[in-house]
Amino acid sequence: MPISLCGSRMLGAVCLGFAVTAPVPALAQAGDPLAVGRQMLAEDNPGELWLERGKALFHEKRGPRNASLEECDFGMGPGRLEGAAARLPRYFADTDKVQDLETRLITCMVRLQGFKEADLVRTAISPSGSSGSDIEALALYITSRSNGMKVDVALSHQKERDAYKAGEYLFFRRSGQTDFSCAQCHGEAGKRIRLQDLLHMTDKKGAQEVASTWPAYRGAHYVVRTMQWRLYDCFWQMRLPDLVYGSDVSIALTTYLNHQGNGAVIRVPGFKR
Amino acid sequence: MNSYGLKWAALCAGALIAAGCATYPDTATTRQIGEKMVGAGFSSPPSLLKRLEQDRSQQICSKIAGEKLTQQEAAEVVKLARDSIQYPASGRLVGNWRIGDKLAHNGAGDRIQRGKLEKQKENGGLCQNCHALAPDEINVGNVGPSLTGYGAQRGNSEAIAKLTYERIYNAWAYMPCSNMPRLGANRHLTPEQITHLVAYLIDPQSPINKK
Repeated sequence: MPISLCGSRMLGAVCLGFAVTAPVPALAQAGDPLAVGRQMLAEDNPGELWLERGKALFHEKRGPRNASLEECDFGMGPGRLEGAAARLPRYFADTDKVQDLETRLITCMVRLQGFKEADLVRTAISPSGSSGSDIEALALYITSRSNGMKVDVALSHQKERDAYKAGEYLFFRRSGQTDFSCAQCHGEAGKRIRLQDLLHMTDKKGAQEVASTWPAYRGAHYVVRTMQWRLYDCFWQMRLPDLVYGSDVSIALTTYLNHQGNGAVIRVPGFKR
Repeated sequence: MNSYGLKWAALCAGALIAAGCATYPDTATTRQIGEKMVGAGFSSPPSLLKRLEQDRSQQICSKIAGEKLTQQEAAEVVKLARDSIQYPASGRLVGNWRIGDKLAHNGAGDRIQRGKLEKQKENGGLCQNCHALAPDEINVGNVGPSLTGYGAQRGNSEAIAKLTYERIYNAWAYMPCSNMPRLGANRHLTPEQITHLVAYLIDPQSPINKK
């Protein structure tokens, strides 16, 4: 559904000057009585504000080296963003690692701009109600440059295959005092935690929803959230220890889910409750 | 090896990242890679990192999609579960349904954020997250079966009280590898807390059993 942000109800006088395809998440499949309200919110996605900020941050000369991110290679060549996020995570020879969008972004912010990795990681996930982190805005902007394109995580490198299989293993690995793996909540169709619909991620459609809607504006937090946040928050709710931002566990799970979600058309910012 | 095979072998040996040469790791290798990731992927204090270690039952119950639990494995999980069950010191399995009602609607306790354990007087029972409870409640999950009318359907005999207590203490004693956390065996709830949940489920006065 194409909407113009000019004159939209929530943004008031703010005019971002471009039209987007509004993501309309699959809501209410489990009969959630709040779905209508969420749908209305999703049609006025405030995440668009982060997108503009991310674009400015990408081109601005910043950091100790006073450099922009325009030379950052997300897998399609330096500075080429079209379709790059759709193919992540993927293997990068210069780091000899499989990286997702966020870890690749950090590599560039460290190598090109001279930021300290530890500082970036510490501030990557912003507090609720804040104006958000640079990484959140940048991740959204870079992903948006794949809007309308299909997720295509190819698994052509051995390390990508290893990450994929490890991600599958981890998705079903039960531990902790709740005995949960991802599959306890996300392994069946039509399930909810209280009123919150749970995506059925072992099903193609559910995995496609995961692979194509992050970063997303999270209504309850008033900020844009990324896939790294989503995973961290799940482990928190499962009563497991703090997931390290950018850890191989997070990359493996994202590789597994995004590959399962191949073919989904990317539409960010997503909108989550 | 025929010439075609030789050619491929040469290509693969020559180009480490060549598409088409990558293979999926086998089960044992996958497990090794995955466990190494778990070992490096979390940052809480060591006392809390222990939660990531799997016990025997969790290992058995971590089948990836499509893999079936064998009869032998199911029997082992049931036996371990049965052996884990401890009863309250008082010997009374039915507590106070009003306390149980509050516990059933409490989803907090024992979460870890930035290395710190969530401060709570006691852990919540988490029931509302996954189960339908009293008939007029909307804000309930459906990952587990509905508990509406649990006692009205089963009565509140001693046998039902014991079965209910055991199923909350360690659900895998009856349903090996089900989605339900082993709330008592994992020390998420105390035996006394479980007796209150039993009362909430089977007491005729409990909202769960009202029409």
